[in-house]
Amino acid sequence: MPLLPEPDKQILSRREEIAAHLRTIVPDGVIADDVTLTAYDSDALTAYRQIPLMCVLPKTAEQVSALLAYSARENIPIVPRGAGTSLSGGALPLADAILLSLTRMNKILEIDLENRCVIVQPGVTNASITRAVEGDGFYYAPDPSSQIACTIGGNVAENSGGIHCLKYGLTTHNLLGLKLILPDGECVRLGGKQVGDGGLDILGVVAGSEGLLGVVTEITLRILPCPPAMRTMLLAYKSVAEAARTVGEIFAAGIIPAALEFMDRRCIAAVEDFCAPGYPADAEAILICEVDGMEAEVRDAAERIAKLACKTGASSVHKCHDDAERDRVWSGRKAAFAAMGRVKPDMLCMDGTIPRRELPRVLNEIAAMSERYGLGCCNVFHAGDGNLHPLIVFDVMNPGDLERAENFGAEILKLCVEVGGVLSGEHGIGVEKKALMGEMFSDADLAQQERLKCAFDTRGLLNPGKVFPTLHACVEQGHMHVHDGKLPFGHLPRM
Amino acid sequence: MNRIIPKNEHELVDALRAAAAARRQCELVSAGTKRNLGRPIEADDILDLSKMSGVVSYEPDELIFTAKAGTPLVEAMAALAECNQMLAFSPTDWAMLYGKERGYATLGGIVGTNASGSRKVKSGNVRDHLIGCRFVNGGGEAIKAGGRVVKNVTGFDLPKIMCGAHGTLGALTELTFRVVPTPARAAAIAIRDCTPIDGLSLLRKAAGLPLEPTGLAYLPSAMCSESVAMIASDLAHTNGVALIRVEGAEDTMIDKIARLRNTFSKLDIVTLEDETASALFDEIGSGMPFARSDTDIWRLSVPATHAYVAASESEAQFWYADCAGESLWLALPASRDVDERLRNITAKFGGHAMLMRANKNARARLDTFEPEPPARAALSRAVKAAFDPLRILNPGRMYEEI
Repeated sequence: MPLLPEPDKQILSRREEIAAHLRTIVPDGVIADDVTLTAYDSDALTAYRQIPLMCVLPKTAEQVSALLAYSARENIPIVPRGAGTSLSGGALPLADAILLSLTRMNKILEIDLENRCVIVQPGVTNASITRAVEGDGFYYAPDPSSQIACTIGGNVAENSGGIHCLKYGLTTHNLLGLKLILPDGECVRLGGKQVGDGGLDILGVVAGSEGLLGVVTEITLRILPCPPAMRTMLLAYKSVAEAARTVGEIFAAGIIPAALEFMDRRCIAAVEDFCAPGYPADAEAILICEVDGMEAEVRDAAERIAKLACKTGASSVHKCHDDAERDRVWSGRKAAFAAMGRVKPDMLCMDGTIPRRELPRVLNEIAAMSERYGLGCCNVFHAGDGNLHPLIVFDVMNPGDLERAENFGAEILKLCVEVGGVLSGEHGIGVEKKALMGEMFSDADLAQQERLKCAFDTRGLLNPGKVFPTLHACVEQGHMHVHDGKLPFGHLPRM
Repeated sequence: MNRIIPKNEHELVDALRAAAAARRQCELVSAGTKRNLGRPIEADDILDLSKMSGVVSYEPDELIFTAKAGTPLVEAMAALAECNQMLAFSPTDWAMLYGKERGYATLGGIVGTNASGSRKVKSGNVRDHLIGCRFVNGGGEAIKAGGRVVKNVTGFDLPKIMCGAHGTLGALTELTFRVVPTPARAAAIAIRDCTPIDGLSLLRKAAGLPLEPTGLAYLPSAMCSESVAMIASDLAHTNGVALIRVEGAEDTMIDKIARLRNTFSKLDIVTLEDETASALFDEIGSGMPFARSDTDIWRLSVPATHAYVAASESEAQFWYADCAGESLWLALPASRDVDERLRNITAKFGGHAMLMRANKNARARLDTFEPEPPARAALSRAVKAAFDPLRILNPGRMYEEI
């Protein structure tokens, strides 16, 4: 179990009283019995479980604000949660914290086609936004693989990407505005239906802040007109290096595909067993490449990519001719997690980003680690943006397996940083990777980030124990170190 | 007043530690082309960041570009152009608005002021392209933030908040951008003789087409003769013009232009080729139609559907619209009256207004940036304190207490 803050016994002993108070705020939405709370004891990082103090399911921003004001007054921590699909433990409950589930705030408040935006509540699922606007020829671009279940609030917290973020950006690039409730219950509006809001770009740091800075109750998102044409291609290779080279050549040729996905041999084998998408059996690696846009643009790009693939050594190049074929090609990629899930009962889905050119080296080293740890691992890779998802399979019932899997995962992430990448591309740090933050950031870098956290949350009540390797009180972090050892200017009045 | 000129990040750290210890406030400058943008600063010293200059690394097939913050924009653009790549937010040199020569603006200044141009309508702002940076905060600490890969949720996204912070949070030393391939061809259609209400509505219609337009501007008749590129393309005497730029590979462009001509078939359309289209949108994004006059300038940003009403209610006689109407350039005096008028508009429709050009007194007296409600203002102050607790970096540039 990663180091979480020690539960406050006094809060634990006040459970009944706190639940009674929360019921005055949300009369029909407080869960405080352990049996029902078991349903909330983890997010999608199921290796870690913890029953929360209680769970509250508000329906309005006013209730969220009242809940946060109460928790601030009483010094009770809060863990915000959407659908609980986080793979990094970002929504892992704490024993002494109120779990704030936003799933009942699930309304689409406004569809404004002329301004190309929608306003939604945080509990709306990602996929339902596109469903609501596709009849009018629009869609919402970020499409994380959990899009049927995951909520937009969670997407904002983790800055989710997905297959199509290569061309259309992450959540943050499609996010225009937020209504944010601060940990003291105050409400601030950030951005709007237009780009930017004129002040400091607070919207920019709230996106991807993993529920540490505030609770989002209203979200304005950019929607885009659906591209009229789309073409999907399946490229197979006898070597990882050749596949990686094709990716570089595609960009060098000035083409930004809508999606560019890589799978390695182990992953191909696993999905062939699982759902037989018909990938070439002898391939060391495949790329699924999708281009979209106007018909001529798509035709032209597909032609050029096919030529580049042949030039860089693809053993086969296949263009999908219809939707059925396209669906079949994508089915293997989308089933990768499920397919690996059949190999062993438990799986860790890692999430690092690397410069693309390092792919062959990183995959070789992961294969060596896999031998060394005696655990299976396959790799899917958002090749366009360098986001690598090694899937490590193990059996938690085997003594030592979990620990070995975690060490294996940590070694992969350290390697990602070593080759110039980062610890997380889209799953967030959560509890899973917080111990590794020091691999990427110096103490001063982390202290700067923690001071920003304190600017929003002086009491440290929002999602404590996540992201940062050690929990500092804001009084420690409120000061910068001065290099003669004295606290700097502590006597000066602060704004 | 001293002019401190650090040659590297190490010297900058020393300079800011000394400034913090002596509580001396610094005005951050690089090329100094935008010193008259924002509230005036009465600093003790000038911190000249221009010597930290040069491309650090550029990997075209990774689409990643890193340069020191003092690198001139033209130098960065030239390096990228050699590999047919560019910064997708159309970085904009506002020098002429302030009576300076173009060509000296630095990347750090562009980032600090969020100086993006017409491509914002498709590609977003500067902040959407800065994926990593190094800066020195007000405590004299060198900080690394973000990374050198596009997809990154490792800690808070500090590069975003450095964009448009006008140097109030840190002195930037190194910037990493994601870059994109330069489209093979650009072209624009100009729809002539359309009223503001019609022209702005056409832009919104074009924004909803799947053509990924990279420029959507409207110039009322009074502005048509103020643009060099408009005069050059014989558009100076039209009675209001809507401009729509699209980009792409050769074949695609035929499709895109045909689709536009088809959509707006009943209107008076001329097609503008690559260089003309680029020159036009460069002028529009950088406020050039106002550069030759000495009028005060405001920039008003509202949801696109409110652009026409906002422009009317602003009572500006000379104005034009960029980014499908989301960005309105207004020639209006820097007076209390106008300030209130614009704040009423943003209160009603959402959005923000900024005083882009005015004399020092006016910029000190008026709300140069959009005023913030109390809870938001308190948060901004707390954020400032998290980076620069002694307020030694560009103090008061954005707001009195920031």
